[in-house]
Amino acid sequence: MVEMKEISEALMKGDAEKVKFLTEKKLSEGTSPLEILNNALIAGMTEVGKKFKTLEIFVPEVLVAARAMSWGVEALKPAWKGRDVKPLGTVVIGTVKGDLHNIGKNLVVMMMEGTGFKVIDLGINIPVEKFIQAIKEYQPDIVGMSSLLTTTMGEFKKNIEAFKNAGLREKIKVMVGGAPVNEKYALNSGADAYGGDAIDAVEKAKELIGQVKLALSDEPLGV
Amino acid sequence: MYREEWMTPKRRFLSGLFGGKVDRIPVGNPTSVATVELMEETGAFFPEAHLDAKKMATLAAAGHEILGFDTIMPYFSVQNEAPALGCEMDWGDKETMPDCTTHPYKEAEDIQIPTEEELLKVQSIRTVVDAIKILREKYPTVAIIGKVMGPWTLAYHGFGVQNFLMDTILNPERVRKSLGKLQEISVMFANLQVRAGADAISFPDHATGDLVSPEMYRDFLVPLHKKIVTRIGAPIILHICGNTLNRAYLIAQEHFDCFHYDTKTDVVELKKVLGKSTTTLIGGINNPEVLLFGTPEDVKKQSHFTVKAGVEILAPECAIPLRTPNKNLKGIVEAAKEIPVGQ
Repeated sequence: MVEMKEISEALMKGDAEKVKFLTEKKLSEGTSPLEILNNALIAGMTEVGKKFKTLEIFVPEVLVAARAMSWGVEALKPAWKGRDVKPLGTVVIGTVKGDLHNIGKNLVVMMMEGTGFKVIDLGINIPVEKFIQAIKEYQPDIVGMSSLLTTTMGEFKKNIEAFKNAGLREKIKVMVGGAPVNEKYALNSGADAYGGDAIDAVEKAKELIGQVKLALSDEPLGV
Repeated sequence: MYREEWMTPKRRFLSGLFGGKVDRIPVGNPTSVATVELMEETGAFFPEAHLDAKKMATLAAAGHEILGFDTIMPYFSVQNEAPALGCEMDWGDKETMPDCTTHPYKEAEDIQIPTEEELLKVQSIRTVVDAIKILREKYPTVAIIGKVMGPWTLAYHGFGVQNFLMDTILNPERVRKSLGKLQEISVMFANLQVRAGADAISFPDHATGDLVSPEMYRDFLVPLHKKIVTRIGAPIILHICGNTLNRAYLIAQEHFDCFHYDTKTDVVELKKVLGKSTTTLIGGINNPEVLLFGTPEDVKKQSHFTVKAGVEILAPECAIPLRTPNKNLKGIVEAAKEIPVGQ
């Protein structure tokens, strides 16, 4: 019998091969993919997030853990087939114009997908027109914007103004984040929430669409 | 009433850099003070100013001519070495900084170290060297600061940030080998700028407080930095973004002349650690809240606090947001003129 803890621990060490192997084995033992997702993969990643917050670990350790998580999520995919999965919500995300740094954004995407959001990842260096087009096309619940540079963080405000002018602001919630950004700056820019890190971003996203407890419920999640 | 100033900007800056006497607090810019306002005033715009030596020199000189800083720094981004590594570039536009769009390295063996002649053939490299020559000729009394990326930052360009950071855990040997090779480019480019006339070299190496642990900094970078400072022929200013307090004791061992810190770092605590070393401090003025959205009064308040904390040279904490108003940047110089020294 594979213990959930074994999977979590392999994930925390960034051992992607082991996470994949143990996840497949656990599935073959008859455990539901939802249980594995919540109690092994997300549980491990939450622990990683805590250690990141208290500076026990840094970005490289988080990156290899997130990579291991994505291998685990991938290994779960065949088991979701045939189930009626409904995403927690739809998120359109990208780094702002002039910013090509995507580590933070990629971590947020990975965590959001892992926890059941449908994520439309527009990528890097996204001009406001592209965000607007994506809002119209995908009708997301949340738009996430990321900026690593002090030279590009001014784009948040400009973009949010543009969403207003396009008559789209009321239809979406806006989240922003990135290394130089803080909550005060985010709210001053007109955003609804600030994600301090990938795990915080998921929590805030859940709060924004009012489904805080869903991740731990019995309903199957979209993966 | 301002006091009489009897030092040239260059003497003031260099003396401050070494922790010596100054007639007033020096004001410098070890990263970039290019703003859209300055571009409009000088007619030298991004992206041309990254690749045209005359435009680069004109825009850089505005930091002294218009803002009144004691230094001129002609290299505005962190990307001018990237084409020499084989990266493809997006040079951005008036309101965006350039960035590399491809990362050609997979292995340490992919890194080719050019000769000086080969390096100088790369336009973005030659532009910086030529701009320094122009500035040296025109401004003999102003401190000209050159800039090179450290090996860690070059590795971000060459491998991509995410891949490189994961390699620090999954393949540390590749990381060690790559950094060892890349330092040659940092040293070579630095000395080309020194020969062209740079008075000091800014050395950003983005093993930032938010990204990597002090242990990684200690194991991968401290031995390299210690060697690099003995090979570059000018005073060197280390720049690292983010909160660096947890690695300050390591920075203190590296023998950089000066450290350009981010205001996320508690400067009083930082000074306690670095005060025991030969490394002085430059920086202190916050970008997003004070320089971009604050007022000249906010800038002055933070300048006074910073000097009181023992920082030798006032400067923005990092490359400033391009929409930063000039009046706030001038506020740093005005504050420097008011603050008493030598007490």
